[in-house]
Amino acid sequence: MSENKFETISALVDSDHTIDHKSKQAIDEILKDEHLTKTWQHYHLIGDVMRGEVTQTLQLDLSEKIADALVNEPTILSPKSSGNKKNNHFKNNTLKAKIVQLAKPFGQFAIAASAAGLMILGVQQNTLGTNEIIIPSQVVQTIPLGGFANPVSYTVQQPDNTSVEQRNEQRIAQQRRFQAFLSDHQQQIKLSAVTRTDDNLVIEKSAVNIDATQK
Amino acid sequence: MLLLSSLVSTCISFSVLAENDEQATLSLQRLSQSLRELNFNTSFVVVKNNQAEPYHWLHGISPSTANNTPVELEILALLNGPRRDILRVGNTVSYLDPEYPPYSIASEQISGPIPAVFGRNISVLEESYHFVSVGRSRILGRAAQLIRIVPKSTDRYSYWLWLDQQSGLMLKLAIITRRGKLLEQIQFTHLDITDTLSNNLVQLQTADLPEVINVNSQQKNVGFLWNINWLPSGFKEVKSNIHRINTSKKIVEFMLFNDGLVDFSVYVNSSQDKQRAVEFAHDGATIILNQVINNVEVSVVGKIPLATAKKIVASVSFTKN
Repeated sequence: MSENKFETISALVDSDHTIDHKSKQAIDEILKDEHLTKTWQHYHLIGDVMRGEVTQTLQLDLSEKIADALVNEPTILSPKSSGNKKNNHFKNNTLKAKIVQLAKPFGQFAIAASAAGLMILGVQQNTLGTNEIIIPSQVVQTIPLGGFANPVSYTVQQPDNTSVEQRNEQRIAQQRRFQAFLSDHQQQIKLSAVTRTDDNLVIEKSAVNIDATQK
Repeated sequence: MLLLSSLVSTCISFSVLAENDEQATLSLQRLSQSLRELNFNTSFVVVKNNQAEPYHWLHGISPSTANNTPVELEILALLNGPRRDILRVGNTVSYLDPEYPPYSIASEQISGPIPAVFGRNISVLEESYHFVSVGRSRILGRAAQLIRIVPKSTDRYSYWLWLDQQSGLMLKLAIITRRGKLLEQIQFTHLDITDTLSNNLVQLQTADLPEVINVNSQQKNVGFLWNINWLPSGFKEVKSNIHRINTSKKIVEFMLFNDGLVDFSVYVNSSQDKQRAVEFAHDGATIILNQVINNVEVSVVGKIPLATAKKIVASVSFTKN
């Protein structure tokens, strides 16, 4: 970008004379070059300022400013909810705010955990060759025996009185039934884990044994 | 010559097996002790059904200011989905689930994805399982010892445990079928062992836990009009009751069985359907199986193989219909 070109621009801006072949070429060159285009703009601005033709609010490049502002703007992914139903559970009950507060920092571990998920994938891939079994089992789904048909086997002959919709409904009802039993089973296990004091004595004993054997 | 060498190798493998068993028992006892006595801050994921559930688990021991006896503190939190936290201070365990108002029960063990028995008296498992020390590998960047908990009978699953050689703590757990198929696994993703209590546990000490509910009243033995005539050996009845299932609102007659490691439930309730053939679904290692005969629905839920669940359901007989 020579001094020469800037002079040409200056000349073009200042001169009022008609455009000849040479200046046409110069203008084409200016349009191609971003830097020169800016210079062209600035020279005109300088001229305007000197002639006192500038508006009060000087807006050099509005689009650039908007772009900058957008970059700095924080992205809001979802609107803030004023309180969801599940949290109300905590508020309404005997549990004091302290516990809620205590449990709050767990959120931050979610990130660590997602990284952990990735790690596991890596582990599984790395060890596929060995005879260690780390391949996850396939998605286990309801496998009806007899009475019901799998969705894939719909083409197989079916009793005339049941439509696909009816079968889907039956499947949904079946899934609900299973889910209800599963969550109740887990709940009953929790409630069954009550203290058995006689267990403790045996534990103390075995702990002593360990001390003697482990160095 | 060939015969002789094979004979020698058999002898060797037998002696190795015997030695390993003792080693495995010691490792499991050390695990139990470490789970009770160490301050640890750890994360793990439960991998089943092609999904991963991340958890954060904190444990610590603090001298209680009231009577100067050490108190175990524990927090187990599910990190995805609705909040499910389990808090434990000594003999009080509090469950914070979205389905129920918060409650506490008098218990020394939390009931989460890791079987509570690993932090308790391991010897209760000796009746139904062998412990086998298999070898070493590297898990979570640490040297680990693989211990297999192998059932003595074919009617239940194996548990494989990878234990940290340094701390004795668990690094990985897998539930495996007889044929070696992996059903469910727990992989630890982070482990910190510290001398002092972590801040969360310090806060837990002063937290007000929800009120302890009385569970014993629900455990009265009620005479049912049905019997289970076959159980896998080693399973004992933990409790039986009549209760209403929270989600389906069905009233069920219920029995819970346990062999120290595995729980399974049997449900009997009336059904609108006259007959329904055996249906089942798997959630990781857990099977949910049910059938309806003469308007009576019988269901089994637990981490047991299909054949075992079928056999249990088939053995239910009714004294009166």
